[in-house]
Amino acid sequence: MTRYKNNNFISILLIYSPIILLFVSVLNKFDFNYLGLKYFSFNFSYILIFYYSLKNRRGFGYGLIFIAGLFNDVVLGAPIGISSLSFLLICGFAAYLRNITLRASLIKEWIFFLFTILFVQSLMHLALSLFFLFKLNYYVLITNLIFTFLFYFPFSYLFEILSKIDFKGMHD
Amino acid sequence: MEIGRDDFVIAVRSAFLKKETQQRFSLIGLIFLSIVIIFLGSFNFKIVNYIKISINELVYRSSFIISAPEKFVKSNYLIIKSHFKLYKDNSKNASELERLRSKILSQKIITLENIKYKKLIDDYFIKDNETLAKVLIDKQSPFLRSVILNKGSKNNIKLGMIVLDEGYLVGKIVEVNFLTSRTLLISDINSKIPVSLQPGDIQAIMSGNGKQKGILQYIKNKDLENYNEEIFVLTSGAGGVFKSGIPIGKIKSEAYNSNKVNKTIDFHKDFSQLKYVKIVSYSKEQKSIDSMAKEDLKKMDEEIAKKNQEEESFKILLKQKKIADEIRIKIEEENLLLKNKNAELRNQLSISKNTILQYKAQENKTKFVELNNLYKKKCKKTFFNKLYKEGSEEYIACILNKGKIKKN
Repeated sequence: MTRYKNNNFISILLIYSPIILLFVSVLNKFDFNYLGLKYFSFNFSYILIFYYSLKNRRGFGYGLIFIAGLFNDVVLGAPIGISSLSFLLICGFAAYLRNITLRASLIKEWIFFLFTILFVQSLMHLALSLFFLFKLNYYVLITNLIFTFLFYFPFSYLFEILSKIDFKGMHD
Repeated sequence: MEIGRDDFVIAVRSAFLKKETQQRFSLIGLIFLSIVIIFLGSFNFKIVNYIKISINELVYRSSFIISAPEKFVKSNYLIIKSHFKLYKDNSKNASELERLRSKILSQKIITLENIKYKKLIDDYFIKDNETLAKVLIDKQSPFLRSVILNKGSKNNIKLGMIVLDEGYLVGKIVEVNFLTSRTLLISDINSKIPVSLQPGDIQAIMSGNGKQKGILQYIKNKDLENYNEEIFVLTSGAGGVFKSGIPIGKIKSEAYNSNKVNKTIDFHKDFSQLKYVKIVSYSKEQKSIDSMAKEDLKKMDEEIAKKNQEEESFKILLKQKKIADEIRIKIEEENLLLKNKNAELRNQLSISKNTILQYKAQENKTKFVELNNLYKKKCKKTFFNKLYKEGSEEYIACILNKGKIKKN
């Protein structure tokens, strides 16, 4: 009976692992800023949201993504709602790609991810600079986009491995 | 295979409008909700502000807990890094300490004089509220340079209060919650501070560059080209937001000699290392120059005179030390010179001794050759006598003795 309960708890944890990871990343921002590398930064949340929305993962709900966006705004000090909008737009783009794709290809996903983050970041920073009069450093923005794009590839492999572990764990 | 217009519309509708089986909320609904929140937030709508404040309280605390592992890794990384350059830093600090100690006295005098003159022009600010705070979250985000402090309106923190670290300007409070507050660092791109450049008292506006440096704006470049040493950047007090004279950073000579339009400022403090900061507010001293103030000034004058005397004696001591050091160095040099001379003389003496010995040996040889002819018969061993074998030591001694050595 205890074993059954434990298994149940672990399977719930495994189902919700992507959303837990999203909340941890939003609250913690493991972006290695403290290394002091010039211009180095990347948006882990974008990679995570795009990947799991594309795979239509169970437990990766839009409502929770919306709340994670609100948390992200608070941590960053950005106007509230901006990150939620960008996260949800990424979900939308990923859902669109999922609908039109018959056979998944990582390269195609990667290119579409670039288009998605370009669109979402442009929209987000347009809103920030036009409506909230935020001054932004465009070099930082561009390098952030480039690194986010480049890191999608290794992270997608990593998430795939994680999904296989989750799947195995759920069926044990 | 091309995607037709209808297919595109169907795919978009399915992605945004259709509520999927695994989702409780529709995507388009949440997108609209976000837009509404952004829209209301831009007009400072009260409900949005309340939501924001309550999320702030929740998120700051949980972020502090969740960041603990990363903070642990970060602190260890920094400890290892600092260990590698410990020796270099120590020797640098030791020399710096020596230099600074001598400067302290004169600085004290200047401070007192400064207070005196500021009081005279009624521009003397005193701290009326000082609170120590801990940095809860420092994301070092490249987009917004700000830190979260663990003091809020409960601790009388108000908007616009100044944040200092060891007397150096760090930033300004821009958001106050009940238990926490947000400080906009001066390195942020949106921060604009009226500054004064010393020496020269040049006025300018400083903005952050979004990284670890500041940028000087609204300044005539030609004014800076005349300087060959470091320029110190202080708050000017213009605009009344900051008290004048708070140190910010310095401009290195390479920075203002470069052709760049925006001159960069190196801050005195590394904002990525903030742990504890002081939140202060300043107010003008209420006293006017009445009899009490005059007494104060008199006391201050006396103190300045006393400090001046101390400085004089300190200077004399320094001079004496300098002279003593010079004498010591000279004596050491002379000592070395004499040691060298002594060694040289000893060398010469040993060479002379060797020459004398060689000469003596030569003389003995000549004497032996001369006497050998005369006394050979008296010393040489033959069949009939028991004298010495030719060439032996006894034979040589016998020759030199001019005959057999008599034993007593």
